Amino acid sequence: MKANFFANMKISRKLVAVFLATSVIAMCVNIFIYLNLNQALEKINTVFSSNISFNELSDSLNKTHQGLTGFLETKGTDDFELYYASSLDVKNISRSLNSNVADNSIKLSERDIRNMLDTYLKTADEAVTAKRGRKIDEYTAKYEECTRIKDYLNTYIYSVNNEQFRTNSETYMALVNSLRYTEIMSMLIFAVASVMNVLLIVILTSTITRPLTRLSAKADEISQGSPENVEPLEVYSDDEVGKVTRAFNEMLASIKDYIARIRTQLITQSEMKEKNLLMETHLKDAQLKYLQSQINPHFLFNTLNAGAQLAMMEGADRTVEYIRNMADFFRYNVKKSSETVKLSEEIELVDSYMYILNVRYAGEMLFEKDIDESLLNVMVPSMIIQPLVENSIKYGIKDLEPGEGKVTLSVYREDKMCCIRVSDNGIGTDEEIIEKIMNHEKKPSETRGVGITNVMSRLDLYYNNKEVFEMKSRKNEGTHVTIKIPLEDTNV
Amino acid sequence: MKVSKVKVSRNRLAVSILAGIVLVLFCVTVAGLIYYRGMIKRLGEVQEEAHAEYSRLYAYIADDPDSQLSNRIYKEIVDYAKENDCYVEMTGQNLSTSYSKADRLNIAICSKVDGIILEADSSVETAELINKANDAGIPVVTVLSDCSESQRKSFVGLNNYDLGSEYGNELAKIREEKRAYPLKALILLDKDEGNSDDMIFSGLNEALKGRNIVLTSSGVDTSTPFTSEEDVMNILDQLDKQGQIPDVIICPNDRISESVYQCIVDKNLVGKTRILAYYDSETILKAIEKGSVYATFAIEANIVAKQCVNALNEYNNTGLVSEYFTSKYIMISKSNISSYKPEVDKDEG
Repeated sequence: MKANFFANMKISRKLVAVFLATSVIAMCVNIFIYLNLNQALEKINTVFSSNISFNELSDSLNKTHQGLTGFLETKGTDDFELYYASSLDVKNISRSLNSNVADNSIKLSERDIRNMLDTYLKTADEAVTAKRGRKIDEYTAKYEECTRIKDYLNTYIYSVNNEQFRTNSETYMALVNSLRYTEIMSMLIFAVASVMNVLLIVILTSTITRPLTRLSAKADEISQGSPENVEPLEVYSDDEVGKVTRAFNEMLASIKDYIARIRTQLITQSEMKEKNLLMETHLKDAQLKYLQSQINPHFLFNTLNAGAQLAMMEGADRTVEYIRNMADFFRYNVKKSSETVKLSEEIELVDSYMYILNVRYAGEMLFEKDIDESLLNVMVPSMIIQPLVENSIKYGIKDLEPGEGKVTLSVYREDKMCCIRVSDNGIGTDEEIIEKIMNHEKKPSETRGVGITNVMSRLDLYYNNKEVFEMKSRKNEGTHVTIKIPLEDTNV
Repeated sequence: MKVSKVKVSRNRLAVSILAGIVLVLFCVTVAGLIYYRGMIKRLGEVQEEAHAEYSRLYAYIADDPDSQLSNRIYKEIVDYAKENDCYVEMTGQNLSTSYSKADRLNIAICSKVDGIILEADSSVETAELINKANDAGIPVVTVLSDCSESQRKSFVGLNNYDLGSEYGNELAKIREEKRAYPLKALILLDKDEGNSDDMIFSGLNEALKGRNIVLTSSGVDTSTPFTSEEDVMNILDQLDKQGQIPDVIICPNDRISESVYQCIVDKNLVGKTRILAYYDSETILKAIEKGSVYATFAIEANIVAKQCVNALNEYNNTGLVSEYFTSKYIMISKSNISSYKPEVDKDEG
């Protein structure tokens, strides 16, 4: 829970937390050591306090005696005040001295000093009282006693002070030595705490930098190619790095998706290219077959033009008409063989073709048209009607009696389709053959001229295998071939 | 994927190890701080020396604070007193000034001790101070030498008259050994008045009656630590010049005993004269072993110490105490020194 809380913190806060944690630890250790060291130093400072106290006692005692001497000499108020104030100091200081019997020379001397001070003050008081009573002998004796005791006291204080100083010096040295150990100890604690802080910083900052390292490693992986094989990163935190990681994962997913789409597109494109190539192949094939079956159309076209001009000079109008039609027919072939053309142009070609045939067969072929003129501008692949008409004549009505055979071309609209139907009243086509043709089993070589199969294949390619070609027939009732061109595809 | 999982687990392991180290270091820091705190606390404890407290304080005032005998007795007194919840201080010891016995007695009175053990003398000043202490409610017990004119509560002494007799007996033995008729003996007495030497001298004189022994006496100044040796040397030089080195020299004092022994050795008189010494100091005991000193008379210091402390305690408890406590001398010669020595080692050591 705590780890999650830390993981979800912002990086700036994390860094502040790390800094604060280590600083607080260092500060606490510092304060602790400082306070204790201070305490130790205070203890060292008190070592010589007993010496100071003894010096004060000696000073106060001498002042008391000075005051006493002065008072006994002159009975002066100042002297008495000095005596009184100093004796109070002596009393106060003596209270802090040991009063018990102990087997310690200093303690014992303190007790002796305390009791001697008591005796001194008592004797001094008696001397003062005797002075007030003007008992010269008594206060003189008491004063002498006081002087003696003062000398004893000074000797004792001096000796104890010396002894105390020696002991205190030893204690001081012991304390100073101990202080050195404490210094070493504090240095060790500092060192350990510092190492701990450094490790703490390493751990905490690594929790911040580790996700970044992982992120950069993933980025490297992606940059080396094949991002589709790169797995998304696990997100452990909700900080900035966590957000970046999440965004990175989303970007990775997007890249993968994009690559997949591009791949599909490429496949589609290559399929389309393949289709186009195939179409061109078929068209070329049709053209080749056409050219094989025909004399060079240019040469023929020029020849025909020369023939037309000759006929015109001779005044043979029908010949002129005939030759022009032939010229149109071949021109069309030369010009439009590789384009989409208007339906009207296709119809004109059929007209020319039929005229030529009727001249050839002396008007035996009947040709009817039923055209919806709104559809004349519909764009269709070239050379799709003439081959059908040719087929109808060649395999349908060719063998009928002259004047009986009839080919009908209808163009009409049906369910958003432009329907082009070529029908004849010929002998009809066997169902077997129709099936073969529809299943593309009949080879182009088995047909003569630009065959129906070629038309079908091209329509299939052009209209993307949509069922646009229909062929129906009954024995001796003719054949109906219908091309249904979807009106939305006509502009393709 | 596998590699990254292995990496993650490795990272976690590293972080766990680091966290463990941090935990250990944290514990070490806390333990260090606790130990540190203890160290600082212990610093203060160095100042206070261990000491025991007692209910009563007695003062021991020796005639000569540097005397080995007095120090031996003091040591025994302190040991015994401690067993009886008392402490005894050698007043005037460890001070920057050397005070006279009277001053030390005065100090003891001013510092209101619970009792005084005093190596007294028969001077008036001492008697007055004993009386002053008595007036201040401090009982005084005299030891080794008495101040019978004072208001001292009790005297813990040795029978010095008997000691004189014992010296006489030893002189008689030496006379027989040396077959010297008459035997010439010299007794070196402390010049200070009122000490125990007079009693010894009386006892000795009495013991020599009819024993064909000629006894002469000389006074030695023992007032300072250095004079006795000089005096003894002067006396011996004089006698040597006169060709009258005595057969036996009697030293009824510990310091004189050691001075005489040293002078005899220095003057190469060992064998020519015999020494009857006083007190069982290490030097004297060694001299007995070597045969340089004929015999010495030692005090049973522990018994004397017990009697002193018991006398004061008894007086403080009941207000009454016996006026006299006596103790015997022990004679130590080459014949019995082996049985005595271990005790000496313990004391001196």
